[in-house]
Amino acid sequence: MAVAVEMPKLGNTVEECLIAKWLKEEGQPVSAGETVVEIETDKTSFEVTAPVGGTVLATFFEQGALVPVFTKLFVIGNPGENVEAFRPQSKGSTPAADAAGSPTPSARNTSPGGQPVTATDASLPHSAAPFSPRARRFAEEHNFHPRAVSGSGPGGRVLEADLRALYHSSPKVSGAASRRVQDGAEAPLEGSGIGGMVLASDLDAPETRISGVREKIASRLREALASTAQYTLNSSADARGLLLLRARIKASSTGPDINLNDLVTFCTVQALLQVPALNVLFLDGRIHQGRGVHIGFACDTPRGLLVPVVRDAQALTVAALAARMKELSAQAVQGKISADDLTGATFTVSNLGVLGIESFTPLLNPPQVAILGVNAIQLKAVRREGKVEFIDSIGLSLTLDHQIIDGAPGARFLKVVREKIENVEQLCTI
Amino acid sequence: MYDLIVVGGGPGGYEAAAHAGKMGKKVALVEKEQLGGTCLNVGCIPAKTFLRSSRLFRECCEAAAYGVRVGAPEFDMAAVVERKSRIVATLGKGVQGILKRAGVEVIRGHAHLISRSTIEVAGSRYEAANLLLATGSRPAVPPIPGIQSEHTLDSNTVFGLQCVPKTIAIIGGGYIGLEFACFFQEIGTQVSVFEMLPQIAAGADGEISARMLQILERKGIEFHLSAKVRRIEGHTLHFATRDGKQSSVEADYILNSTGRVSVVDDLGLENIGIDFTPKGIKTSEQGKTNIPGIWACGDVTGRRMLAHAATREGMVAVNNMFGRKDRVRYNAVPSVVYTHPEVAMVGRTEEELRNAGIKYKKSVVPMAVAGRFLIEHEDGTGLVKVLCGSDFGEILGVHAIGDGCSEFIVAAAIMVETEMCVADAGEIVFPHPTVSESLKEAMAGVH
Repeated sequence: MAVAVEMPKLGNTVEECLIAKWLKEEGQPVSAGETVVEIETDKTSFEVTAPVGGTVLATFFEQGALVPVFTKLFVIGNPGENVEAFRPQSKGSTPAADAAGSPTPSARNTSPGGQPVTATDASLPHSAAPFSPRARRFAEEHNFHPRAVSGSGPGGRVLEADLRALYHSSPKVSGAASRRVQDGAEAPLEGSGIGGMVLASDLDAPETRISGVREKIASRLREALASTAQYTLNSSADARGLLLLRARIKASSTGPDINLNDLVTFCTVQALLQVPALNVLFLDGRIHQGRGVHIGFACDTPRGLLVPVVRDAQALTVAALAARMKELSAQAVQGKISADDLTGATFTVSNLGVLGIESFTPLLNPPQVAILGVNAIQLKAVRREGKVEFIDSIGLSLTLDHQIIDGAPGARFLKVVREKIENVEQLCTI
Repeated sequence: MYDLIVVGGGPGGYEAAAHAGKMGKKVALVEKEQLGGTCLNVGCIPAKTFLRSSRLFRECCEAAAYGVRVGAPEFDMAAVVERKSRIVATLGKGVQGILKRAGVEVIRGHAHLISRSTIEVAGSRYEAANLLLATGSRPAVPPIPGIQSEHTLDSNTVFGLQCVPKTIAIIGGGYIGLEFACFFQEIGTQVSVFEMLPQIAAGADGEISARMLQILERKGIEFHLSAKVRRIEGHTLHFATRDGKQSSVEADYILNSTGRVSVVDDLGLENIGIDFTPKGIKTSEQGKTNIPGIWACGDVTGRRMLAHAATREGMVAVNNMFGRKDRVRYNAVPSVVYTHPEVAMVGRTEEELRNAGIKYKKSVVPMAVAGRFLIEHEDGTGLVKVLCGSDFGEILGVHAIGDGCSEFIVAAAIMVETEMCVADAGEIVFPHPTVSESLKEAMAGVH
């Protein structure tokens, strides 16, 4: 007489258990008391034994299947006996059946060995991810939530043994490193610590979100590059007059405070008055002539690059221009500058010379078509009447939009700037 | 053609040779003197046998405080030296056994590098795919007139003393000098220590070294800090004091323990362009020198000058040379000073953290928070200091002074090695009653 054995109820709250391992297969003899199958809940494992001796006539579920309690698991009897009467009716499920959406007991494992299963931290404990209850418990206890793990159960179900093997074979993350990972640092697969442990020093520095100002700078610069045809001309001007004038200003304790950058900016304004073709805006395929020279100047602030604008600079004396630039840069640095003072420039000057830069590529600020970069003063060898002498010389880098300004007119403008600088003493009445 | 020839049979060299041998490699080890190197023959092991005897002697003297009466003990220097020699011989045989079991061929003689892969020993040439230089160090001889006179000992010759000196002057307040200072003080010698720096135990955490100075002075050792030894004449040591005054002391013996220098001469290093200075051969954390196939470990690198650091460096070099990635994590190499009381430390000192601009939290507890410490030491004093990162609480350094700390510092080393955070370390169960509980209390004190 065939005897069917049911899934036992291993606790008050246990509704289903997992088939961990069949120790006997269909057709194998078994004696009374011998273990036929190991089952597990998320808390414990249990051996189901044969109540009588005989032959295992049928096993109704695959390894890895979740089976409701009191469902018949297997049948023991004499070979040839009919077992169909014991076969459960679509109650238990195999993982493969789960996936197909049509629970069929004893459905065969269609992918032996299993595919890597993606599991995320959040999905692990609660979702219907194909983790066995014990695997889930192991993951929680060890705070181990790998992105991918191969399940060896049917349909790729991840068993505790899979997770345990991965846990012991994968590099650990040190306490200090794991806290940094929680803070957003990226951990490599293998570290330089003991047994490949990932140490804090193996982590990349956490990413820093850029500020709003930086974001604006970034997008404007990308647009500027995308919408223009930029090129840069480099030249230099005799700076001896500039330096002499500056020295005189410095020496006079009563005069206005005017620095080299103010002087060069003033010279640029004068050059733009002479060559109005560069004091234009290029908007929607049309050239708009600037009504005045509204000169923007690049200003390094704690929040990043700002470009305050001196309106109608053509109407200002060098002292007035210098005073206005000082006023605006102080406001920019303190973060108190009004938005109106940051827009509307027709031309920009950017001075990196004070930082020792000898030549660079300033980027246009569209719809402006030109920007002048001012470089450091250096000694330059010049030939005069057969002799070589060294003069102080200031570098100039003019970026232009080739859409509007060709090379030759650009170069001619730069020559005018040079002349203004070289004759700055005559130009400025202080 | 060998897979590896190791030059030098100290704890760096012989462990590395055995490790490679056990990996199935064809290995030879060249040694010109005794296997076991400085550590076994004239360093750690002899010093610790001496210190064991001196501690027992002191404990006999203090036994009454524990309710045990003994007669007046006597210190038999000759017997102590004999015991030391016996232990050294036993351990030396052990080293031979280790090498034999690992199939390492031992070549006796002085090795000289001929090329990147060839060495010469006693007229014969040997070739190897890899050379591991582990030639160790020797006591430094500072340029002090008279330093090599007959009454001057160094950390090699001191182990031959046959009787207890009445007075000894020790030049150098580093780890070696301090251990000998404790030894001689305990056996009744009047000890004075001359240190060039303003503190003793240079390299140790400032709080630990200050406490050590306090304890040793209280024991009766006389310290002359910021002192410059000028010359030695017979039994007289002439020195300049902190404020520049000339002074002198008389002593039965003068012990030179001004540190050790790497053995980099007479090896032919310059023949093959190895990057080295008198301070040692330059190596990476993997044990590589600048020449492919030539590796170095231990004191000859001038890095940590500790036997266990040498061993680890040697293993790391062997692992890397045979394809297993490894590196020495120097931040987690513990060190111990076997003074009475002992000092043990691992990781960064407070001064190092401050200089590196690392934000840290600290906790310092007296060792007497552990009941066992009070039980073991009637008038013992000590402290445990834990330093950890201020943001995450990872343990960056543990420094302790007080007997027993050498045995639990390895726990702290594991914590530093695995960057354990102090909150997690709090979950570790420490057995009660043990001195190690002071470490637990120190960690609990980090806020």
